[in-house]
Amino acid sequence: MLNLNHVKKQYGRNVALNDISLNFSRGKCYGLVGPNGAGKTTLLKIISSIIQDFDGSLTFTDSPRAKSKELIGYIPQEICLEETVTAWDNLSFFGKIYGLKGQTLKLRINAVLKDIGLTDKAKQKISTYSGGMKRRLNIGCALLHTPDLIIMDEPTVGIDPQSRRYIFNMIEKLKEHGCTIIYASHYMEEIEQICDEAIFIDKGAIAENGRVDELLQRYAIPSIYLKGENCLPKENGDFTISPKKEGHLILTESPLLAMEHVINHCKTHAVQPEQLELSQARLEDVFFSLTGSQLRD
Amino acid sequence: MRSIISFELLKSLQDRGLLFWMLLLPILFTVLFISVFTSGTEGFAREQVILSIVPGYTVMFVFFIIITMIANFIKDRELGMTARIASTPLPAYKYLLGKWIPYMYIVFVQIIVLLLFGKLVYDIPLEQPLSLLIVSLLLTFTVTGIGLALSLLVKTNNMGIAMTQVIALGGAVLSGLWMPIDMMPSFIQTLSKFLPQYWAHQALQQGMEGSMQISDILLPASILFIYGFIAFTIAILRYPAFLKMARG
Repeated sequence: MLNLNHVKKQYGRNVALNDISLNFSRGKCYGLVGPNGAGKTTLLKIISSIIQDFDGSLTFTDSPRAKSKELIGYIPQEICLEETVTAWDNLSFFGKIYGLKGQTLKLRINAVLKDIGLTDKAKQKISTYSGGMKRRLNIGCALLHTPDLIIMDEPTVGIDPQSRRYIFNMIEKLKEHGCTIIYASHYMEEIEQICDEAIFIDKGAIAENGRVDELLQRYAIPSIYLKGENCLPKENGDFTISPKKEGHLILTESPLLAMEHVINHCKTHAVQPEQLELSQARLEDVFFSLTGSQLRD
Repeated sequence: MRSIISFELLKSLQDRGLLFWMLLLPILFTVLFISVFTSGTEGFAREQVILSIVPGYTVMFVFFIIITMIANFIKDRELGMTARIASTPLPAYKYLLGKWIPYMYIVFVQIIVLLLFGKLVYDIPLEQPLSLLIVSLLLTFTVTGIGLALSLLVKTNNMGIAMTQVIALGGAVLSGLWMPIDMMPSFIQTLSKFLPQYWAHQALQQGMEGSMQISDILLPASILFIYGFIAFTIAILRYPAFLKMARG
């Protein structure tokens, strides 16, 4: 649907993005991940046509709509709404910018209000809204013109779990309708939950990208968590053991073998572990193995 | 562009602060200063004071729209609205025009309301409505032009408020909007000829009295237009830098 070819962006001497090439397919959700200042927002702004002075090119491959701006719905990190007027007024404003009018505009506003769960609050001023309602409306403003590509820059910052769940459900529905979504977030569990693919960006370059499950398999080291007195085998075998909470985390390429090893040890020494469980590989582990754990200010 | 004009007007109508600055405060000042300056005077002298204060305070208070304009542009820039709109099909020049035109409406309505207030309450003459209309339109163009230029130039609200105070209040004192220019030292009288407020005030007074000839309107009209044109040129030259800052 969209190809980025050797995209490069500099601010003076500072290279914000360096030779980024990516392909985005229709109907998929792509997670964009990276530390602060990695270049995520710059990349999103380039794709959204907000930043236009960059090297390289963007190509929309299979869209019937001629103008790229009509294909895109950009949801910024900031809540860009006018607080002194109603949700209806805000939606109407963005709809008109995209050329919607009359009955079509009304129908689209009503449909979007239903999607974002604000139908009964449509005539209330935004200043009376909660953080979650504003976030949902912020998303709704980008959906009026039924975009093919939706760009979300940290859309769940500062909202409650209910609103987050609602937004995730919306994203699932959008994917079902064939929308491509680029979703930037610092919350790794969100990327794991809703994205098909993840793009790790660091210091302006792509550190890694691919299917989420493949990345987990490739980078995240499986582990088991063990808690209990005298349960830890003396002969560690091919494991790396580190203390965690009141027990130990055993990192291993063969978690089932490690578990067997622990169980045998417990049987032999007649001890009962309080807790023995397989820890799932997390995208956060992938993130740290790619970007390190030092602070990025 | 109509979408942004109607949205900005809707926002302005919801803004009670704007109503206070643009209409209530000028009316309050006009009533207060007329009662102070006309106490003990009657007849022609009283009429002359009123004939100076009504257009004088009108001209002074229209400049306060600049504060609202600056606050609006800075809010859009900092909130990310300018960047968000850049991702839509709305061209950048339409965004600028769409933000400016509503203030033209507001200032023009403000001038009309304040002059009509003078007519209803103090029975000021409005002898040459066409001349008054032309001067009002040109004053609107100049003020909103200066507002637009400053909105795109200043970086903070406080800087904008400070500059507006200097332009509005400084210009008012130096242009004879507070007290008749004849009572000022001669160097201030000379200086006032370089200020748009002076020419707007003089032209409005003449239009009200009915003493303005076609040839008389050309000079103040040209000066107001030139000020507005220069301000617009500055705004247009500054606009790309503003957009760059807003877009990140």
